[in-house]
Amino acid sequence: MIAISVEGLEKNFGGVKAVDGASFSVSAGEIFGLIGPNGAGKSTTLRIVSTLLQPSNGSVNVFGHDVVKEASEVRKLISYLPEDAGAYKNLKGIEYLNFMAEFFAKNREEREQMVKRAVELSALGERLNDKISTYSKGMMRKILVARALMIKPKLAILDEPTGGLDVLNAREVRDTVKRFAKEGTTFLLSSHNMLEVDFLCDRIALIDRGRIVETGKPAELKEKYKAANIEDVFVEVIS
Amino acid sequence: MSHLTNILWKEVKELLTGQMIASMLIMVVFFVIFGSVMGNVQEEAISGKTSIALLDLDGSEESQRLTEMVGSQGNIALTVVSAHGVEEALKLAEGYDSNALLVLPEGFGEKIENMDNADVEVYAIVRGLGIMDTMSSTQAQVAISIINNILAQEYVKKAYPDKEPQSVLNPIVPKNFIFIKGAINEGSPEAIASLLMGQSILVPVILMIAIMFAGQMVITSMGMEKENKTLETLLTMPVSRGTIILGKIGGATVVAFIMSIVYLAGFGYYMYSLTPSNSISMPALSMGVIDYALLGISLFLAILVALSLSMLLGVYSQDTKSAQTMILPVTILVMIPFFLLMFSDYTTMPSALLAVMFAIPFSHPMIASRALLFGDYNIVIAGIIYMTLFSAILWLITVRVFRSDRVITAKLSLRRRR
Ligand SMILES: Nc1ncnc2c1ncn2[C@@H]1O[C@H](COP(=O)(O)OP(=O)(O)OP(=O)(O)O)[C@@H](O)[C@H]1O
Ligand SMILES: [Mg+2]
Repeated sequence: MIAISVEGLEKNFGGVKAVDGASFSVSAGEIFGLIGPNGAGKSTTLRIVSTLLQPSNGSVNVFGHDVVKEASEVRKLISYLPEDAGAYKNLKGIEYLNFMAEFFAKNREEREQMVKRAVELSALGERLNDKISTYSKGMMRKILVARALMIKPKLAILDEPTGGLDVLNAREVRDTVKRFAKEGTTFLLSSHNMLEVDFLCDRIALIDRGRIVETGKPAELKEKYKAANIEDVFVEVIS
Repeated sequence: MSHLTNILWKEVKELLTGQMIASMLIMVVFFVIFGSVMGNVQEEAISGKTSIALLDLDGSEESQRLTEMVGSQGNIALTVVSAHGVEEALKLAEGYDSNALLVLPEGFGEKIENMDNADVEVYAIVRGLGIMDTMSSTQAQVAISIINNILAQEYVKKAYPDKEPQSVLNPIVPKNFIFIKGAINEGSPEAIASLLMGQSILVPVILMIAIMFAGQMVITSMGMEKENKTLETLLTMPVSRGTIILGKIGGATVVAFIMSIVYLAGFGYYMYSLTPSNSISMPALSMGVIDYALLGISLFLAILVALSLSMLLGVYSQDTKSAQTMILPVTILVMIPFFLLMFSDYTTMPSALLAVMFAIPFSHPMIASRALLFGDYNIVIAGIIYMTLFSAILWLITVRVFRSDRVITAKLSLRRRR
């Protein structure tokens, strides 16, 4: 089954062409990575898939639903984690999780289950009773990732999920993503960490100046460009 | 819990921080302390004794008799100074903390005996330029009118020994009535003026406090959402734009309501301690249940307009800091009718100004507070209809903006324009 299909996607901000005719598709259960230099249009693409921005041209479907015309259907299926996002600072961690779970849970039991899952995922323990304003960057990221996954979304859209995390925390997040993918969640993520992409993603797309310049499995791409790692592929393709 | 209450509850928790509660309490304590201090000072100035010094350069029997009579007045603390000249007397008077020095010149007694005009020099001793300082020095005039009154009564008594001096001095005693809204009321026009003043200050003050707090809350909450990118997350939740907007507006209203009540209680106490307790009631000018209901609706709609406007402005705020200045346009729109109405009435305003004022939605509750006293319902209902339309249109615009990219990108495009 196709989870995401992006066709001829364009996005203009005034005179700036942030996305310029990007096309790709992601199968259900896949971990799909979008990599590219700064300003290539990764975040813009993810925001369009998340129904936040509207395409200037082209179309995006999520599990068969158009992100513009059926935005409310799409929103029931996805979980989006913005690039360096924060959370409500004056809420306690646990209050934040409850607030977010409420939107998806059909009843109290379901909500408690989601929050319980998030508590385990975040591994923040007692700190969840503290205000979010007291959290470190790593703790913030952990609670946000936990929040994004606690609802077991059909599609999780994560913009640089391990950005700013130390090696151990980043690895934890990657393990979580792998585990959820096994349980059926589809992932669309962006990253600047080529090792991570290599380890994590089933397939990747290289994006440059708003265009998809290469897609494929990491192993295939390494072979195609006779490169030792994805970083070399990246340098080869982009320059 | 519905999505709306969920968002509303979150907003209240997010906005009503310990810091805010603390600043609210400090403000109230300030009002209470300031109110009781000011009340005391004023009470002293009004009911306390006026301290007056007197220099008798005449030394006649007549002047001594008058000095004694002035000294026996209950509200005057008289100090008779003996000095050779005015300057010396003033120095002494200053030492006694007197507010004024009266000088009875030579020949004063003789003139009085002949029923001629006699001069009395009044030196007001001003120590500071505060309102209370000048107020006490004008009370020196009171001493003069007391002397005048005593003398006049004596003259009258000489001429008409068998008459009551007061009824000769003031042959006519007016009884004041006011004819308004078809009914006759006892009272003077000044009484209406002060009643109207109370009404026309109170409503705008309530309105202003409510609008500024609520508007500030909405914009701040938008600024916070933008700062932490929580708005982006919220907008991908399976919840309608309308619910998000309503939840944010509702949450801000709840917090603003709590704040307004607390502040108004403090402010009310402050005003109460300042106002002397001789309030007037005027049956024909009091408002009925329907009048209060109309005024309430009018106020509510104005606040709704302010909130929707703030929400729209909040879209353009980048963070909590820029949110603070974003409220300015709303504040200005409240101030314009407030000042226009303070100095004139909508019935006498030039039509260009009137058009401006009617166009500003916040004018209408202020106008209503006056119009209702005079039973002018048309203008009140027209204002309510206008504000309803205005907020409906604002609502549509806000929802549109929230459905578009702008709610996310507004910050960037604003920066580029600069
Ligand atoms: N709201 C906006 N208004 C104007 N231009 C924008 C806006 N958002 C993005 N852009 C522009 O679009 C282009 C793509 O930006 P985008 O954020 O998608 O890049 P990115 O690939 O996520 O980069 P990075 O790796 O730095 O996060 C950039 O040139 C950026 O300046
Ligand atoms: Mg980005």
